[in-house]
Formats: sequence, structure tokens, C-alpha cells
Amino acid sequence: MKQNNYWSPVIAGIILGVALFVSFIVAGQGMGASGAFARATAQATFTIDPSFASNAYAGKYLKHGNALLNWTVLEVVGIFIGGLISALLARRIKPEITKAKGYSSGKRLFFAFLGGIIVAASTRLTRGCTSGQALDGAATFSVGAWIFMLSVFGAGFFFSFLFKKQWKGVE
Amino acid sequence: METVFPLFTNGFIDSHMNYILAVVIGVVFGFILERGGFGTAAHIAPVFYFRSLIVPRIMVTAIVTAATLILIASLMGYVDFSQIFIPTTYLWPYLVGGIIFGLGMVMSGWCPGTAVVGIATLKIDAIFFALGLLVGMFFYFDIYQYIIDFANSGNLGKFTIDKLVGGDIRISYLVTVGVSLALLLFVSTMKKVIEKKGEN
Repeated sequence: MKQNNYWSPVIAGIILGVALFVSFIVAGQGMGASGAFARATAQATFTIDPSFASNAYAGKYLKHGNALLNWTVLEVVGIFIGGLISALLARRIKPEITKAKGYSSGKRLFFAFLGGIIVAASTRLTRGCTSGQALDGAATFSVGAWIFMLSVFGAGFFFSFLFKKQWKGVE
Repeated sequence: METVFPLFTNGFIDSHMNYILAVVIGVVFGFILERGGFGTAAHIAPVFYFRSLIVPRIMVTAIVTAATLILIASLMGYVDFSQIFIPTTYLWPYLVGGIIFGLGMVMSGWCPGTAVVGIATLKIDAIFFALGLLVGMFFYFDIYQYIIDFANSGNLGKFTIDKLVGGDIRISYLVTVGVSLALLLFVSTMKKVIEKKGEN
């Protein structure tokens, strides 16, 4: 069932690569994702507390007006719409929690949440995530992208024993 | 010949049009991610156990495809490579940040871009991951003033491969393809080794 309507990895990779190239030659930048979450957080905090505009990190998002009026934020809105269209056409939309059979849903959601906190903080150190840093950087021959990718993969593999039960049989 | 690409940085489209195209490009990315199988943690987490090659195959093919097109377009003079955004390399933050990212990724089964697709298809774990992202960003904004020196350490500027090993964009390209294929060979060999040991 899992291959239902999915493209082969090579076809998906070629189309993704062409789209990435188009993004570079149109906008001068590739795809991103983590920046949109950073800007959303900055804008929401600023709305509640205007003194946040002087924050040492988020201040740079807020000084040109609304932090959400930004290329990456709009592109992420597009990612949501595009993902929704594809999943609707493939009839793949249904509420679910991906985890090993019999694994506690509460624990799974806790680790998803905690993992989100960890990933968010690390993307600020690495100036981007698997999209904006790894994919875009590697395609533009940046050494940093490979430092990032190899340490992500190395650490993911190193820590994988901790979450073996959560992912048992999941594929 | 006058370089016209990138269209935006060369002034051929205005920022309004650039924003509209950002949404269009995003829609294409989102569609590809979902169709490629990035819309579920079931295809992402197993990568770290060498059980699935879907994600590495797509990543490597995409990198090689985009790099090939960028190389050709630059050499032919259609694209001004100097105007394409290349992330600045910060050695230590990337190394340490990458390790933390890897931990968070194997823990959650998501990364920020795939989670957007996961939310669109109602994956509850993606929604919790995204909430965590917002909290994590807030946490970082708060602690940044204390780690500002580390966060900006090891600044190597726009550090492309040719600056490390010498040569020009063609050397960068060859190394990129070589490293990409070596990585793919490594994960597929590991997958076979682990399948033989019957640890699945």
C-alpha cells in the first residue's frame, strides 16, 4: 500500500532538482522552511509584547515591518497548499499518528513535540534546515551544507538506539 | 551576453511578483514532497536505521540535478552564480547544530519542511512537532544573547568547495557529485549489511 501513487525516488528527485533550479534562477534563492517558523514565532510574540522588537535575534525579522511578509514564509504557505493538493488527489488525507504498533501515543506525541523544540533551536545555529541549508547549500556547492548534513545523519544514526521501540517496524 | 537570471536580483521581476512566485514555487515543492513520500514520518525515521533509502535517493538525485543545471547555466553565462544565495558557513555552529538537529529528527521523525506537508495531511505527530518548533524558536530567541559568540564562531563566509580544494565551479560540481554518490553507496551498503544480519 505504501507505494500507492508515490513517485519513484529518482523521478521525484529529478523533478525536485529542476524545481530547485527554477527557484534559484527566479528568486535567487532555494526552498526553505525553518525560517518561516522562526518568523511566525517572532511576529506572534511581537503582537503580544511590542518590546520584543528589540530582541537580540528576532529583532532583525521585525525591523522591516511584518515578519511574515517574506519570501520563505509565502513559499511555506505554498508548500502546505501543494502538499494538500497532492494528498487530496492521492486520497491520502486521514488523521494518524505514525509509530510502532502498540507504542504509546502519548509518548510518541511528547517526543514529536520535544523533537520540534530541539530541531527549531538547532536550525537557528545552522541558518536553515534540511531544505534551506542541506538541499540549497549542497546544490550551490557550499561546504557548510555538507558539514551540516553529515553531522545530522551521524547524530541521527548515533542516537537512533534511543528511539528503536518508537520506530520498530515503521516503514 | 547579458545575464538575466536570477530574474529577481537582476530586476526583471519586482518584489510583488517575486512574492507571488514564492507561493507558486512552494506549491510545486509541496506537491513533490508529498508525492515523493516526505509527508509521513514513516519514510523519514527509518533512514536512521538504514531501513529505507527513499529520502537519501530523492535528496541525492535532487542535489545532483540542481547542481548540474546550475553548472551548465553558469558556464554558459545565463545565470550570475554570484547573485544566488549561498548560506554562509559557520563551522562550529553547523557541526554542533547538526548534531542537535539529528537528535531532534530521529526523536520526532520530522524536519520543518516535511512537517508542513504532514500537517496538510493531518498527521497528528507533525502538528505536535510544529508546535514544538514554535516553542523552540521562542526558546532560542531568549537564549541567543548568551550564546551569541558561539553562534557566530567559525565564520568562513560563502565557503564553496572550490575555495576548500582549489579549482573553480567545475571542481565544486565534481566533488558534489562524488560525495553525493559516495553517501548513497554508503547507505545502500549499510542497508544490505543490516538486512543480512536480520535486525529488521
